[in-house]
Amino acid sequence: MGRIAVKAGIITFLGTNCEFDTKRACEFFGWKTELIKHSEKIEKQYDIIFLPGGFSYGDHISAGRIAKLTPAVQSLPVGKSLIVGICNGFQILTEAKLLSGALTFNDSLKFISKVVPLEFQRQIIHLPVAHHQGNYTGHGNEEVILRYCENVNGSDEMIAGIYDRKNKVIGMMPHPERAVFDELGLVDGRKVFEFFNEIL
Amino acid sequence: MKNYKAIVKVKLKPEIKDIKAKALEQAVSHLIEVKNLNCRTGNIYILNFEAETKDCAEKIVKTIADEILANSVIEEYEIQWEE
Repeated sequence: MGRIAVKAGIITFLGTNCEFDTKRACEFFGWKTELIKHSEKIEKQYDIIFLPGGFSYGDHISAGRIAKLTPAVQSLPVGKSLIVGICNGFQILTEAKLLSGALTFNDSLKFISKVVPLEFQRQIIHLPVAHHQGNYTGHGNEEVILRYCENVNGSDEMIAGIYDRKNKVIGMMPHPERAVFDELGLVDGRKVFEFFNEIL
Repeated sequence: MKNYKAIVKVKLKPEIKDIKAKALEQAVSHLIEVKNLNCRTGNIYILNFEAETKDCAEKIVKTIADEILANSVIEEYEIQWEE
């Protein structure tokens, strides 16, 4: 008997721009995927919920500060579904205090958009990063699951991604959803999605 | 109801590196000689609103500052009142 398809939800905010990359990546793995509006409470059951990349509310006040107040984020089923924040999603999760720390401006003060090497599960993978506020500080007790191999943005301990195993919450600045398809020249993102699948 | 005006000043905590301030210090060095210049950056928010009492007004501003204007992990704020 075949396994029941993973059910994934992707929250879209005003200013989100990675929802379709994330949806297409989920569908590559055969996951049943739908978009969730920021303005609606999450009442359906999902195995995994993504807060995708982008510039929610124009990064006004600070990146992720306004998105944390939306009905969708306020009703996240913490501890039930696996919750994954990518880039702006990571910023939202720290602002909502669902993950420790905060993401401040890159040391260079420049927007960084490039492919970087990272340590992930005792191997080196390559993923794109694209952010202005990715300088992570104030890490608490979560497991570090992704670490930059070089100082990309000034993050403490070169942290790129963390995982709160108890509450099933993950945040990461790199974009695994942009490294799934052969035509994009990078497929290491598949390893990250396979990791999500393992811990559902 | 009474009118209130609160000025909320938000800045990075002293232990958090202020990269924009460092850029400002470097820029100033090209402009004019200043001894021991130490800059910090921040934002000012001016809130005009109505409330029943000063207590209510203080609670409103504290909620806005704690939840939206400042992130206590990296920022601190102070409130000035103009009546």
